[in-house]
Amino acid sequence: MSNQLRLHAEQQYADELKALGQADTRPRPPSWKLSPWATATYLLGGKLDDGTVIMPKYIGDRRIIEIAVATLATDRALLLLGVPGTAKTWVAEHLSAAISGDSTLLVQGTAGTSEESLRYGWNYAELLAKGPSSRALVSSPMMRAMQDGKIARVEELTRIPADVQDTLITILSEKNLPIPELGEEVQAVKGFNVIATANNRDRGVNELSSALRRRFNTVVLPLPENLDEEVQIVQQRSEQLGRALELPAEPPALEEIRRVVTVFRELRGGVTTDGKTKLKSPSATLSTAEAIGVMNQGLSLAAHYGDGVLRAADVAGAMVGAIVKDPVQDRIVWQEYLETVVKERDGWKDLYRACKKAE
Amino acid sequence: MADPQVHIFGVRHHGPGSARSLCRALEALSPDCVLIEGPPDAEEVLPIAADSEIKPPVALLIYDPDKPQRSVCYPFAVFSPEWQAIQFAMNKKIPLHFMDLPQSVQLAMRAEQEAKVSANSAPEGESSEREINKTDRAVPAAAMDDTGIANSPGDISRDPLAHLARAAGYSDSERWWEHLVEHRRDGGDVFTAVLEAMAALRDAAIQSSLQQLEPESEARREAHMRQSIRQAQKEGFERIAVVCGAWHAPALAKMSSAKNDAAQLKGLPKLKVSATWIPWTYGRLAFASGYGAGIESPGWYDFLWARDHGSSHDLATRWLVNVARLLRREDLDVSSANVIEAVRLAEALAALRGRPLPGLPELNEAAESVLCFGDALPLRLISEKLIVGERLGAIPDDTPSVPLARDLAREQKRLRFPPEPAQKQIDLDLRTATDLDRSRLLHRLNLLGIPWGDAQRHRRSQKGTFHELWAVQWQPDFAVALIESGVWGNTIAAAAGAKVRHEADVAPDLQALTALLDATLLADLPEAVEHLMSRLQAAAAVASDVGHLMQALAPLANILRYGNVRKTDTDMVAGVVNGLVARICIGLPGGCGSLNDEAAEEMFRKLLETHAAIGILQDPGHTAAWNAALRQLADSPGFHGLVVGRACRLLRETQQVDAPDAARRLGLALSTATAPAHAVAWVDSFLRNSGLLLLHDDILWQSLDDWISSLTADHFTMVLPLLRRTFSTFQIAERRQMGVRVISGPTRTPAGSLNPTDFDSDRASKALPLLAQLLGLNWEVKT
Repeated sequence: MSNQLRLHAEQQYADELKALGQADTRPRPPSWKLSPWATATYLLGGKLDDGTVIMPKYIGDRRIIEIAVATLATDRALLLLGVPGTAKTWVAEHLSAAISGDSTLLVQGTAGTSEESLRYGWNYAELLAKGPSSRALVSSPMMRAMQDGKIARVEELTRIPADVQDTLITILSEKNLPIPELGEEVQAVKGFNVIATANNRDRGVNELSSALRRRFNTVVLPLPENLDEEVQIVQQRSEQLGRALELPAEPPALEEIRRVVTVFRELRGGVTTDGKTKLKSPSATLSTAEAIGVMNQGLSLAAHYGDGVLRAADVAGAMVGAIVKDPVQDRIVWQEYLETVVKERDGWKDLYRACKKAE
Repeated sequence: MADPQVHIFGVRHHGPGSARSLCRALEALSPDCVLIEGPPDAEEVLPIAADSEIKPPVALLIYDPDKPQRSVCYPFAVFSPEWQAIQFAMNKKIPLHFMDLPQSVQLAMRAEQEAKVSANSAPEGESSEREINKTDRAVPAAAMDDTGIANSPGDISRDPLAHLARAAGYSDSERWWEHLVEHRRDGGDVFTAVLEAMAALRDAAIQSSLQQLEPESEARREAHMRQSIRQAQKEGFERIAVVCGAWHAPALAKMSSAKNDAAQLKGLPKLKVSATWIPWTYGRLAFASGYGAGIESPGWYDFLWARDHGSSHDLATRWLVNVARLLRREDLDVSSANVIEAVRLAEALAALRGRPLPGLPELNEAAESVLCFGDALPLRLISEKLIVGERLGAIPDDTPSVPLARDLAREQKRLRFPPEPAQKQIDLDLRTATDLDRSRLLHRLNLLGIPWGDAQRHRRSQKGTFHELWAVQWQPDFAVALIESGVWGNTIAAAAGAKVRHEADVAPDLQALTALLDATLLADLPEAVEHLMSRLQAAAAVASDVGHLMQALAPLANILRYGNVRKTDTDMVAGVVNGLVARICIGLPGGCGSLNDEAAEEMFRKLLETHAAIGILQDPGHTAAWNAALRQLADSPGFHGLVVGRACRLLRETQQVDAPDAARRLGLALSTATAPAHAVAWVDSFLRNSGLLLLHDDILWQSLDDWISSLTADHFTMVLPLLRRTFSTFQIAERRQMGVRVISGPTRTPAGSLNPTDFDSDRASKALPLLAQLLGLNWEVKT
């Protein structure tokens, strides 16, 4: 096992990508490492003819991935929308790993993202010493993706200031990047494309201009549709992460995962699973990603301070932390939930007691 | 195939692919006789299908003339294979017959069953009637499912071709069929293949299932179809084309013995039925409306059918252009560049899924992702307007129909008020003759239980009586309701009138009568109103509840005083009003005894309404009687405070009681011996909603002032909480003004300003001509 804390998708799943590449006989778009069909299989999971099992990376509606892959195959930029924690970044990373074999060409969108990060910057020492030249140019991930015909990723597109966002318009429609200082331009090689992610909840932070918006095909990633699906996601991810962190604890019991996911779903939806009791919703998003985080934290607690088996007490602290983001409002919501739902539910006594203690 | 004379075409009901193949196959075969799975009862109206004015979607309606609720509809769209077969036979003048078991028999059997059910379950007349009605409602849905039985094994028999398509990995059975047909140029082979596939499916279904389908009725239907085929053979036809649901095809190909079939069809009950064509809508063809053999996307099928035969490569483009145009109409920006990208995405998706051409799912996904920016909301619009569609069929004017339906059609034509399946808001201006007639028509139809229009409350103002807001939407089943209403009369007006007269006769109480009167006046049915009035008079005579009388009075008084835009005859109303007022005045004191808080509140409201109505009438006799009744109330300490207090107040307003007397009564009501609850109600009722009035009405102010001034210090402390409670309902500004007024001391209105001699009449008269012009009076300027 390597020493890196987190491997890139193309490193972690190198075997699967290789097997898919060998089995894949369908036509590939220029510069694509895999055909669209194999890309979809890589994300959705399946079994190849030679017996290689492809683990599902995205658990959910098949058509979402199909639309995403088809979008990239038609040379259109892809915009993944969704509330935090709906696997937008995850999907984007795996898509670029499968298509370009490289998921590292990443621009993180922040309020301070400047044009340089989308276009190019300068090595000022070189610039002052010798004047503008291609040696003094510092290319951005976007520029490298264009030169190599790869997929560039832009995270949190709506966080980027509007004027910087608009830099993308030329890149997406003309597929070139002029460098007026040198009188040159970079023309995108076939295979170049952009996957951007944006947060539904951030609407209005820096709303995309309609000119930019219409250059993207938009795919909305929903929250997991049902309990079982979400439990599966949490289980799979927390097991993987536990392995990556080399936690000595046993993989979490399905029952414990199911309970955490149930709590999250109920609070998120504002109603109990049986549809009988109405609940208040806390201000936190309570996404699947956070449920995975809770399981992970619980696992490490169990590993380092407990007996290695995940118990309610290990989960409780992390869970309260994830749910109670606003110390006043959310605490009321949580306590109400604890007293009216958790306390009454059969077999949840230990969780109730652990949560009471965790406060 | 057993017999070379008989050619069986198993089709998918409402499948454009089937229809196209069928057309091609019929063309190739050129049969001399066509048999279609359909009700033989309707053969007499079949020639209408060839009329140039008939526009699908239409439906064959078969009903029992004695009991029109017992009815069945067979809908046809332009892309229905049966419709195309009918058109083919009509154009070529080939003998055409329906071969299903006649509805006269099927309906009769159902009626027998119902009779049995209702006899067992519900001995009382009323509930058994309801039982039948309930089953009747279910009849059309089940009967329209002519592909098979309503609840047969899974959905195999309902849409067996869709089952095969799914097995082949297609989500859209129409596209599957298309590919099947397009790969094989000869349509005939396809039907042979379908026949074989169906035979296998049927065997599998029979083996695996459950046999919970009513095999009897199904077998009987198939037996009748076989008999019809034999009949055609006997008549010497040589190339018989048989068009039936794919599910039935194998049963017709394998001819069992004629004797068995005959035996099965022996001794069946029979009913007299009538048949006609009625317009249908795509909305009704869709699954969502509960129609058993329905299809998900009539609009999409229509689109598939309407495009040029053969060329399917530009199908995605054309469809998405339609989508874009729709979205633009709804003010959603969609550029042509977007459409291009959507087409590319749809094609890429189809390729990714291994389909040669994009189907509806791919097109929808492309539209959502590119045209709607991931927003699913506009998709619902697309589904409603394009995928299902809103088309309403039309039938020729001379279609045999009940006279009532013809009259409605005439009226609709005269008023240029065509029925439309989409809901629409209309604003009728009752001052124009056409709109007034339209309004009458809608009101009359509502009386007949045909809610074509739904009267909306006017948003802007409720004062304008000459505007009427309606939401109109035509439903195909109104055709059935029209036939049902045929028992009442032959024109809309006559039928509505007759129905009102009937309802007036059976109305249980005065309240029902007044509600009916309200509707009838709106519908302008003078004869019915006359009848209603006499009924109202009679009911009023025996009515014990003065509240109902009071409720009836207000609208009538309005009509009597002002007439209305509808030009109702007011003489008729006057008699009733006189009777009502007299009875109210006599019954009021009796009707106000022992009321609880809620009832008193109700009576309080009615007192106000009636008082206003009496004021409107301006009849001295009425006013005197009413005042006497109020005085009686005011003098009865035993009644609820709300009633007494308001009676007192009304009397004070009309100067029947002078200020000192009012102050006395106020004191009486709030004296220590009175129960606090009564006192609170009294003073609340006396002053409710009158903050401003109290400020500006000297009489009221004086009464209150007189009373308070007369209180001793101790007594004042005692009543203060009660008064405070009432005063706290006033606005803060009002209370402040009252305070100011109290501080400034007793202010009498300066008498001088009311003195008429102070007017400068010369100056005033100069304004008169203009005023006259504004009011539209014929004023002669006197110099």
